[in-house]
Amino acid sequence: MRSRQWLALAATGALALGVTACGSSNNGSSSTASSGGGSTSASSSGSGSGSSTINGAGSTFAAPIYQQWGSDLKGQGVTVNYQPVGSGAGVAQLTSGTVDFAGSDPAMTDAEERTAAARGEVVHFPMALGAITASYNVSGLRSGLRLDGSTLADIFLGRVTKWNDPAIAALNAGVSLPSSNITIIHRSDDSGTTRGFTAFLSSVSPEWRSRVGVGRSVKWPTGTGARGNDGVAAAVKQTSGAIGYVEQAYALQNNFTFADVRNAAGRFVAPTLASTSAAANGITVPADLRLTVGGSRDPAAYPIVSQTFVITYRDLCRAGVKDASARGVAKFLQYGLGSAGQGALRQLSYAPMPSAINQRAVAEIATLQCNGSPIAG
Amino acid sequence: MSALSFTTSPRRRRTDAVMRGVLLAATLVALVPLVLVIYMLISKGIGAWSWSFFTTDPTGSFLGDPGGIKSAIVGTVAMVLLATVIAVPVGVGVALYLTEFGGGSWFSKAVRYFVDVLTGVPSIVFGLFIYITLVIGHGGFAGWKGSIALALLMLPVVTRSAEVVLLLVPNGLREAALALGAPRWRVVARVVLPTALPGLVTGVLLALARAAGETAPLLFTAVAANATTLNFGGRMNSLPLQIFNDVQQAQDRLVQRAWGAALTLVVMILLTTLIARLASRRSTT
Amino acid sequence: MQREPDRGLTHVEAGTLTPGGGRSSLERSSLRRLPDRLLKWGLTALAAAILALIVYFFVRLADESSAAFSRFGVFGFTFDDNWDVSKNIYGALPLLVGTLITSVIALVIGVPIAVATALYLNELCPRRARGVLTTLVELLAAVPSVVYGLWGVFFLIPRLKPVEQWLSDTFSFLPFVGGPVAGPSYFIAGLILAIMILPIVSAISREVIATVPVEQKEAALALGATRWEMIRIAILPHARAGITGAAMLGLGRAIGETIAVTLVIGNAPTIGKQLFDQGYSLAAVIANEFGEAAATPIHRSALIAAGLVLFVLTLLINGGARAFVIRGERRRGQA
Repeated sequence: MRSRQWLALAATGALALGVTACGSSNNGSSSTASSGGGSTSASSSGSGSGSSTINGAGSTFAAPIYQQWGSDLKGQGVTVNYQPVGSGAGVAQLTSGTVDFAGSDPAMTDAEERTAAARGEVVHFPMALGAITASYNVSGLRSGLRLDGSTLADIFLGRVTKWNDPAIAALNAGVSLPSSNITIIHRSDDSGTTRGFTAFLSSVSPEWRSRVGVGRSVKWPTGTGARGNDGVAAAVKQTSGAIGYVEQAYALQNNFTFADVRNAAGRFVAPTLASTSAAANGITVPADLRLTVGGSRDPAAYPIVSQTFVITYRDLCRAGVKDASARGVAKFLQYGLGSAGQGALRQLSYAPMPSAINQRAVAEIATLQCNGSPIAG
Repeated sequence: MSALSFTTSPRRRRTDAVMRGVLLAATLVALVPLVLVIYMLISKGIGAWSWSFFTTDPTGSFLGDPGGIKSAIVGTVAMVLLATVIAVPVGVGVALYLTEFGGGSWFSKAVRYFVDVLTGVPSIVFGLFIYITLVIGHGGFAGWKGSIALALLMLPVVTRSAEVVLLLVPNGLREAALALGAPRWRVVARVVLPTALPGLVTGVLLALARAAGETAPLLFTAVAANATTLNFGGRMNSLPLQIFNDVQQAQDRLVQRAWGAALTLVVMILLTTLIARLASRRSTT
Repeated sequence: MQREPDRGLTHVEAGTLTPGGGRSSLERSSLRRLPDRLLKWGLTALAAAILALIVYFFVRLADESSAAFSRFGVFGFTFDDNWDVSKNIYGALPLLVGTLITSVIALVIGVPIAVATALYLNELCPRRARGVLTTLVELLAAVPSVVYGLWGVFFLIPRLKPVEQWLSDTFSFLPFVGGPVAGPSYFIAGLILAIMILPIVSAISREVIATVPVEQKEAALALGATRWEMIRIAILPHARAGITGAAMLGLGRAIGETIAVTLVIGNAPTIGKQLFDQGYSLAAVIANEFGEAAATPIHRSALIAAGLVLFVLTLLINGGARAFVIRGERRRGQA
């Protein structure tokens, strides 16, 4: 460790000297630093029969899933470029035709579908369920801090500003709470995670409902904005006293501590695979699969959950997607909704959709078309 | 020089000493961030450097190996070179017009003024412009669109520096050549441009170094991609964008990649600057 | 700097020019002059194309932003304190305020240091050290914006947070100071901007200071002035206009800076109550929200309008700066 610091210091000096020597002395000294841009072997075009590149963008909530599937599919000739830019941006890019598929946690609204109709009819594929954790970074405080909806709402409204506020203390008898300030981290982008989180807060806090409301982006009364689930996770990680809401995979990946949240049945529940799956029990599924989880009365259910969709056009080619990419999207969906993809899902701590819904989604792949002819084979 | 100051009162001398100290201190303060940035870059970035860091693409894998920055390096080099190929002929051409043909006409004044205006345009606005003219409704994001955004950024820098260098070519030289019966175009091609060449190269390299570090114009033109590609029709990765995305990640491995990529980018820019300085030295000695 | 051209090169070039003829220019046929005409008209066309491009640039931005301006009014858009994406209401005041606050912080911190650096380098620095120090200051400009952002996120914010909290508590009697400190803030963004504008302000100041006539400086010294008094009496009054111009150019740079600010300002579209609160800036909001705005025409229009406001601001400031610098140079002519 120590020697590395010295090395760095020496190199700092060398680099600076190398450049300044050239700025001041007459003798053009040769470069000191090693070049980093040597390798330019372009190995991009596989151009085998089934090889294709597909571009997707959207949900950061689901980004770990699609990126994992993408790297699984690399050997099968499908390159997946998935940009985690937020659900709203995903829908926007699908609508303006700059991506082949969108990842979005909430289903598209009727109005959004009408805008997208200029390119064609869209199809929703429900892919997975995930828990939205209230993660915090407070030294000495472990996972399992108990919070109820109204306290969480008060924190994000900026009314509860200290970790030892009586409202928090009342729910956590026997836990020693520090007197440090609460720093709120929220999303700055148009986000399905925000929608899931604010939907929960609105369902339990009338003041939240009237002052802030539900949406992919809301006008936050206070706090620091960060881009994406990863941005919120990064900010929580770097800020002591911070609380933010991130999808469970991000919380687990970063060894975050997160709260047990009181559900509709009055029990404090930790986000787990089981408690997330329980939240999907008994939900109604519309014909176009645009379902919304939440508000489950199941006593085992974690209350802040969200579904996530892959959305694309029914006829991809007419919407401007190239033939090969359209086939790539179908392949991607087949893999993801199949047993291998669903297995990867669990490893990332997302809950699979109930099997009835999964089967309906798989059946939907067969309806994808390219210029009128089915593409799934 | 201050030998004359024998009449200076102690108070004035003290003020002088104090103020000299303040000015020196301010200069050193100005260098503190540079030292800190370079020190942090090296101490954090060098650890990320390895053979595979430069020879593999980002994988985008959430749990596994995040991969290296090959596609980002290739993309930055490719896009900046294309931007240079676009910006240099246009920029030097406009500068030639201004110095050789424009004279003091209202038209050349207008051109000069607007090129100046372009210098002050925030780089993100170039990105916006390319997005609304080339990206939306025109097939989406592509490397060449990023290059054009960068070229727009480089254009005023190249033009202004070229104009300065061309003005330095002594008029006597032009007049001598013209008096010998050479046509104008030969004077430009054989006298003016060769004389100004080292200065032109310096200006171009400095513009190039600036473009290489720009993130904002690429944010919604070339976007980002994982795979290495030289296909300008598709999305292209770039170092600044790779850094920008990795900074906003919680995983230590990705943050480390950001530092490694930042060190790579700074080294590339410093090397370009270095070459630019060498070129300008050749022109002045 | 050196106006002397390379001698050897000139001779060779002049030599190669003659063999065509030694004929007088009167005998040039119109055919021989055709390439000249082509070159001239080609370059003129190129210049005209650039002019047209810039005009088109304006027109497109204005056109695309007109929806937002007509919905909220130019005044309403610019000065309403309500940026609410969820309700599609766009009043850019919080962004404008953020842009201005961070830029002012940058000027307050950056300009004195830059000018002091310029004075030191030009007037006091030993000759041997001058080249090295000058290059080092210039190197600050070679570091890309995103790298400053990276450094800000992982170094400045965590290291300065206790300092900020102390400042906030100690000086809470001042306006716009006091209260909890979050980390990302106007102050951090302003500090990074100060570093980023330092090289350009310093470089232009040095140019301006170099134009102060040597006689003036020597006269001051001959009258028994100390070095500092010479700077105060002979240099600063003379260079004031030019330094003001340099500061304004720095301001123009600071206002348009995007990526570093996006990473450290906290991205909260509200007007912060104090210096150490999170905020937002015009450029940062475009960088963050443009990707998702593509399908919502009014949102997209609002962001392009924000870009236009930014553009107009930099235009005004740079115009002013140029006027100052030119005035400074005229002075030199008179002196």
